Amino acid sequence: MMTGERSLGLLLFEMTFLVLLGPLVTGIIQKIKARIQCRQGAGVLQPYRDLAKLFRKGTVQADTASGLFRLIPVLVLAATVAAGALIPVVRAGPPSFPLGDALLLLGLLALARFLTAVGALDAGGAFGGMGASREMTLAPLVEPVLMMVVFSTAVAAGTTELGALAAQRGTSWVLAWHAADFLGFAAMLVLLPAETGRIPVDNPDTHLELTMLHEGMLLEHSGPGLGCMLLASHTRQIVTLGLVSALFFPIGPANGADAAGLLLGVGAFAAKILVLASYLALVESSYAKLRLFRVPQFLGIGFVCALTALALRIL
Amino acid sequence: MNVDSGLNLMAACYGAGALSALLARWSGRLALSVGHLATLAGAVVGLGVSLSVLLGVPGRTLTQPLPALFPFARLSLSVDGLSAYFLLVISLVAVAAAVYGPAYLRTYSPDAGPARQATQVLALNVFVGCMAFLCCAGDAMTFLLFWEGMTLASYVLVVSDDRDGENARAGLLYMVMAHGGTALLLVAFLVLTERAGAFDFAALRAAAGDLDGTTRTTLFFLALVGFGTKAGVVPLHVWLPRAHPAAPSHVSALMSGVMLKVAIYGLLRFAFDIIAPVAGPLPSSWGWTVLVVGTTSAVLGVLYALQQHDIKRLLAFHSVENIGIILIGVGLAMILWRREGVGGVLATVALTAALLHTLNHAAFKGLLFLGAGSVISRTHVRNMEELGGLARRMPWTAGLFLLGAIAISALPPLNGFVSEWLTFQALLGGAGRFHGPAGLVIVFSAAMLALTGGLAAACFAKAFGVTFLGRPRTAHAEHATEAPPSMIVGMAWLGALCVALGVAPGYAMRLLDAPTAGLLHGPGASAVVTARGPMVLSAGLTASGTAATAISMTMVTALLIALTAIAWVLRRGSRRGPPRAAPTWACGMSPTSRFDYTATAFAKPLRFVFATLYRPRREVIRETAGTPYVVRRIHYAGEVVDLAETQIYHRVQRGISSLSQSIRARSTGRIHGYIGFVLAALFVALLLFGVDQ
Repeated sequence: MMTGERSLGLLLFEMTFLVLLGPLVTGIIQKIKARIQCRQGAGVLQPYRDLAKLFRKGTVQADTASGLFRLIPVLVLAATVAAGALIPVVRAGPPSFPLGDALLLLGLLALARFLTAVGALDAGGAFGGMGASREMTLAPLVEPVLMMVVFSTAVAAGTTELGALAAQRGTSWVLAWHAADFLGFAAMLVLLPAETGRIPVDNPDTHLELTMLHEGMLLEHSGPGLGCMLLASHTRQIVTLGLVSALFFPIGPANGADAAGLLLGVGAFAAKILVLASYLALVESSYAKLRLFRVPQFLGIGFVCALTALALRIL
Repeated sequence: MNVDSGLNLMAACYGAGALSALLARWSGRLALSVGHLATLAGAVVGLGVSLSVLLGVPGRTLTQPLPALFPFARLSLSVDGLSAYFLLVISLVAVAAAVYGPAYLRTYSPDAGPARQATQVLALNVFVGCMAFLCCAGDAMTFLLFWEGMTLASYVLVVSDDRDGENARAGLLYMVMAHGGTALLLVAFLVLTERAGAFDFAALRAAAGDLDGTTRTTLFFLALVGFGTKAGVVPLHVWLPRAHPAAPSHVSALMSGVMLKVAIYGLLRFAFDIIAPVAGPLPSSWGWTVLVVGTTSAVLGVLYALQQHDIKRLLAFHSVENIGIILIGVGLAMILWRREGVGGVLATVALTAALLHTLNHAAFKGLLFLGAGSVISRTHVRNMEELGGLARRMPWTAGLFLLGAIAISALPPLNGFVSEWLTFQALLGGAGRFHGPAGLVIVFSAAMLALTGGLAAACFAKAFGVTFLGRPRTAHAEHATEAPPSMIVGMAWLGALCVALGVAPGYAMRLLDAPTAGLLHGPGASAVVTARGPMVLSAGLTASGTAATAISMTMVTALLIALTAIAWVLRRGSRRGPPRAAPTWACGMSPTSRFDYTATAFAKPLRFVFATLYRPRREVIRETAGTPYVVRRIHYAGEVVDLAETQIYHRVQRGISSLSQSIRARSTGRIHGYIGFVLAALFVALLLFGVDQ
C-alpha cells in the first residue's frame, strides 16, 4: 500500500463515523438556533432520542401505497450512507482501492432524492406530491451548480476523486487561496442551505404546506421507516458539509495511521463541521424562508459565483 | 462464428420473416408469431456476428460482395469494428422487441385484420434487416439503399395503426423530414463518388484525400444536417416526438433506441473514416458545432420532455436529449482527435463515452418504451393523467420501468451514470487543456449536462410517480392487469442489460476496443478506460502523467447492497407484525384520486422557472352565477410550445404557402403558357451549362 492511501477499513470507519455523528450536527444546529432565539432548547442529543423512539415504534402505512413504499426508506438510507463512504474524513489521500469520486457522490445523493420523491408520490396524497414536485424542481437547479463548484477545484487538481483532490490541495490554506477558491466557496455557502434543506430554501421544522419541501415528502412515513428517512437526512447534511470541507479546507494530518493521528484527524474534521454547522444555524436564525419562486434567483447567485470561479480557473 | 455465413444467415432470417407475411392469408396470428420468431433468429445471428468480430482479431475487416444489381455500382458488405458494434446495439434491442412484439400486438389491437398484421410483420423485418445491413454496408450505394429501406419500412410501421388521422399526419411529417435529410446525404455522397469514380468506401476515402478544406467542410455539414435530421437533433427534431409514439410500442423502442443510433453510425463513419484529412486534426469548426448542437439538444430535449403528458411522447423527447449527450461525446472526440499536446487519449475517452451511451440509451430507452407499451396495451391510454396506481396492478412492469427511469436519469449504480461519468471526465479533461473561451464552452457544456441529468430525474419522478403510483384516476387504470409473460421477458432482457452495464461496465469496454481503435487509430477503449483492470474505470492519464480519477462501480454496488441489508434490518424495527394500513392523510377529508398530484401540477414549478423557453399559454374561463364570488365551473387549458416549431417551422411553412400562392397566380391553366415556361427553363439551362460542350 502506498503511503497516503486510505485503506478499506479506514473508509468504512469514516463512513460509520459520519453516520453516527450526523444526528449530533443537527442537534448542535438546533441548540445554537434555540440560544439565538433566547430559548433553552432541547439537548444536543435530542435527535438520537428521536431516532431511538422511532425505531421502537410500529408502522402505519397508507392503504393506497404499493409494495415499493416499504423499500424506499431502506434504499434512501443506503444510498446516502454509501455517499458518506466517499468523503475523506480523517485524512486526505486516495483510497487504496478506487471506490468513487465526487460525481458518484453527487449521483448517490441524487439517487436518494429521486427515491424520496418517488416514495412521496406513492401514498397518493397532495402533500407528498407537492413536496416531491418542489424538491424535484429545486434539485436540477442545485446539482449543476454544486457540480460546477466541484469542477472548479477539480480542474486545478486534475481529478474528481475527493481524497486525491484534498491531498493535492493539502498545502493550500486560506492565505494561499486563489480568487477562484473564494468564489467557489461563496457559491458553496449559497448552496449549503439548499442542499441541507434549511432556511431560506426549506424549513426543516415544519410541515406547513407553504414551506415544506423535504418534510412534505416524509409525511406518510412512520415508525422505523421514518427513522431511516430522518437518519438519511442527518447523514446527507453531514456529507454535504464534509464535501465542503474536503473541497476547501482539506487540512488534517498527512500520515496519521497511528491512533494519535486518527484522533487528530477526527478532531480537525469535527472542528470544521462545527464551524459550518454554526454558519447554517446563523443563517437559519437571521433570514426568513424565501417564496418558492424566489429560490431560483437565490440559487442564481451561487450559479454566477461558480461560473466565475470556473472561468477564472480556465482563463 | 464465421462472419460470411453469419451475414447470409442473417439475411435469410430477415427475408424469411418478411415472407412470413404471406402466412396471413391463412392466419394473421400465425404470421405474427412466425414473423417475430424470424426477427428474433436474425437478431441472435446478428449478436453472434458482431460479438465474433468485436472479440476476434482486432483490425480485421471482412468484406463480402453482393450480387450485381446495378451496372454502375458493385454492392458489397464490409464489417469492421464500428459496424459490428452498431450491429450489436441493433441486435440487442431487436431481441427484446421480437420477444415482446407478438403478445403486444395481440393485446393492443385484438381486432386487427390479417392485412394489418401482415403489413406489420413485413415492415418490421424489412426495418430491422435494413438497419442491420446498413451498418455493414461497404459502399455508398448499399448504404443509401438500406437507408431508404429503413425510412420507408419505419414509415409503414408509423402509419400502420391508423385509427386516427394523427398518425397519418405524423407519418407525412416524418416522410418529408427524412427525405429532406436523405437528399442532403445523397449530395454529400454523390460529390465524393463522382470524384472517386466508384462507390465503395475505400475509393471514397482515397478521393477525399485530396479535397480542399472548404469542400471538405461543406460536405461534412451537409452530412451533419442529413444525419442530424434522422437522429433528431434540435432544431431538426420536430418529426420525432410525433412519429415515434405513433408506431406500435416495440417499434417505438426500435426507432428511439436503435434507428437514431444508425444516424450516429453514419455520422461517425462519414466524419472519422471517409472524409477525415489523411493527417492532422479534423477542422475545428466540425467538433465545436457538434458539441454545441449536442448540448442544445440535450437541454431542450429534456425541458420539453418535462411538460409532456403523453407517456410515449415524453420518452420520444428524451431521445432528443440522449442523442444530444451522445453528440457531446462525439463532438469532443472530434475536437481532441490528433490535436498535438491537447488530445492524446482524451479523444478515446470521449468517443468511448459516446459509444457506450449509444448502447446504454438503446437498453434503457428500449426498456422504457416497452414498459410504456405494457401500460398502453392494458389500459389503451397514453395520457399519464388518466393512469395511476398501476404499481399494485402491474408490479413487474412497474419495477422494470423504475429501473429504466433510474438508468435514464443517470443515477448510480445503473448504466446511464457510467456513460455520463465518462462524458464528464472527458469534458473536464478537455476543459483543463483548452484555455480561454474554448475551455469555457466545454465547461458550460459540462454544466448543461449536469442540468440535463437533474431535469431528467425530475421528469422521471413525474412519469413514474403519476403513471404507476397513487390511486387509479380512471376506470382504465383501475381494471388494468399485469402484462403477459413474454412481454415481461422482453423487458427483463433489457433491464438485465441496464444492470450489467452499470455494475460491471469494465467488461463491456472490450467490445469498444475495435470501434475506438479503428476510428481513431489510437489505443482501444479498454487500454485507456480500464487500464487498472475491469473492475475500475478511469479516465486515462492527466496532462502531468499521473493516473486520473478512478471509480469502481462494482465496489460501490457491493457497498450499496451491504448497506441496504443493514438498513433493512433497521427498518424492520423491534416490533414484529405487518404494518397497520390507514388512509392517506388529507387533513381529515376522505381522500379520492382527485387528491393525487397530477403530471401538470408536478411540472408546474419548472414551467414557471423556465417560462422563457416554454412560452406557456394558459387559459382560464370562469362561469359565475351572477356575482364573481360564486363560481359554477372553471375551464382550464394550458399548453407549452416548442420554440423550434413556432420560430422556425411555422415561418418556413408560411413562406412556402405564400410562395405557392404567388405561383398560383401565374398558373393560368392554359397549356401554351406551361410549354412556354418549360422552353424558357430549358433555354436558360442550356445557356448556363451546355455551352462548354
